[in-house]
Amino acid sequence: MSDLVALIALFVIITIVGASGRYGENRLKSLSVAWVLFLLITFPTLSTEWARMTSELVDDDEDSHYGLPDIWEGKQVVCFNFPEENAPEGYGGGRHHIDSDGTKFLTDSDWNGSGACIGGFSDFENGIELMDEAVMVSGGDFAYNSTQFSFGMQIDSIGWIEPCDAAPCPEDFSSGAYWGLYHNGQMALVGISDLPLEDDSVVTWKIETW
Amino acid sequence: MLDAHAVTLSPAETFILNVSLLVIIGWSMWKAEKTLTPGNDAMVLVLLGAFAVSGRVLLDPLPNIQPVTAIVLLAGVHYGAARSTVLATTIALISNIFLGHGIWTLYQAAGWSLVGIAGSLLSDRMTLSGSISVSRVAAFSVAAAFLFDWVVSLSALHSFGAEMLPVYIISGIPFDILHASGNVFFVAWLSNPISEIMSRHNTRRTVVRETVALRS
Repeated sequence: MSDLVALIALFVIITIVGASGRYGENRLKSLSVAWVLFLLITFPTLSTEWARMTSELVDDDEDSHYGLPDIWEGKQVVCFNFPEENAPEGYGGGRHHIDSDGTKFLTDSDWNGSGACIGGFSDFENGIELMDEAVMVSGGDFAYNSTQFSFGMQIDSIGWIEPCDAAPCPEDFSSGAYWGLYHNGQMALVGISDLPLEDDSVVTWKIETW
Repeated sequence: MLDAHAVTLSPAETFILNVSLLVIIGWSMWKAEKTLTPGNDAMVLVLLGAFAVSGRVLLDPLPNIQPVTAIVLLAGVHYGAARSTVLATTIALISNIFLGHGIWTLYQAAGWSLVGIAGSLLSDRMTLSGSISVSRVAAFSVAAAFLFDWVVSLSALHSFGAEMLPVYIISGIPFDILHASGNVFFVAWLSNPISEIMSRHNTRRTVVRETVALRS
């Protein structure tokens, strides 16, 4: 959004400077050249910012991208869901969305939960590679701790939130909590490091209890 | 065997090549027009149509920047609704032979025809003291960009419901803005020479080309 404001401000400045020149008939010629060049050079930024600003959430609940911004359709996404009272700082009050270049946009305050989805990725073939990229894009807000077992990697905490922060975990193990991994809405049958991805995979982490 | 055409051009080199070709076509058109007898408006429409088709095809790598809207608008102002509609429809069809023909061709033809018809209806307002007003034509060309693009957007109704149309139109606004800026560019640089040619070969009315200072 701030990029869009900066572009509009720059456009206005170029127009004012161009229009204030004493070129008579040629004033519009030089201004038109400046406008076209400016818009062509900034078009990728302009169209991306506009797409983010006008994006809507996918409302087809059969779609694995349900509830995600429509500009991410066909792209890979990682979501970190937290209970409202245990969300990392700055990620409460709904689901936040972070584009693959780190730009935050479009918070879904109606979402049943808190956290963030980081998306717009492509060409990742393995779950852990995508997750590491998403963590990096978030600036480390969703950094995770893990333990490597013989059967695979277990996620101990995400964004410094451990499952037992959100649910009771008595020492007798009569109940407990863990970070559950979902792939396209289905509980993953393998760990994140062994998870093969599709072009439009949605990987979701949320705290589950037993 | 030597393959003399095995030259791969970068996008920038291709763009320079295309602009060079368009300049050659424009310059040739300019020279060819000089040999016409006055009042030969049909041949002028053919030449302008050829330039518009070439411009649209050659500038295709630039998003939504092409000379067709400006040329059709000027044709409407000088030659009226009927001839600008013929020009608009022919340009849409021929250029889409190269760019891709489909249901959208009908909407593009309709969109550009509407621009020409509007130019015809507003032709009195596009002139000042009998000469073309570049600033007024430029201002209308901005509106024409949105008019054309939104008419063409109606073709999306063949793919999804009407409730998606506003979303589709809003998402395309950056492309509309580029179209508008391109129109202003072509009007600023071409409206005086093209108006001069059209006036010299106009059998419908007289719009004398004179240099008009921009009104601020």
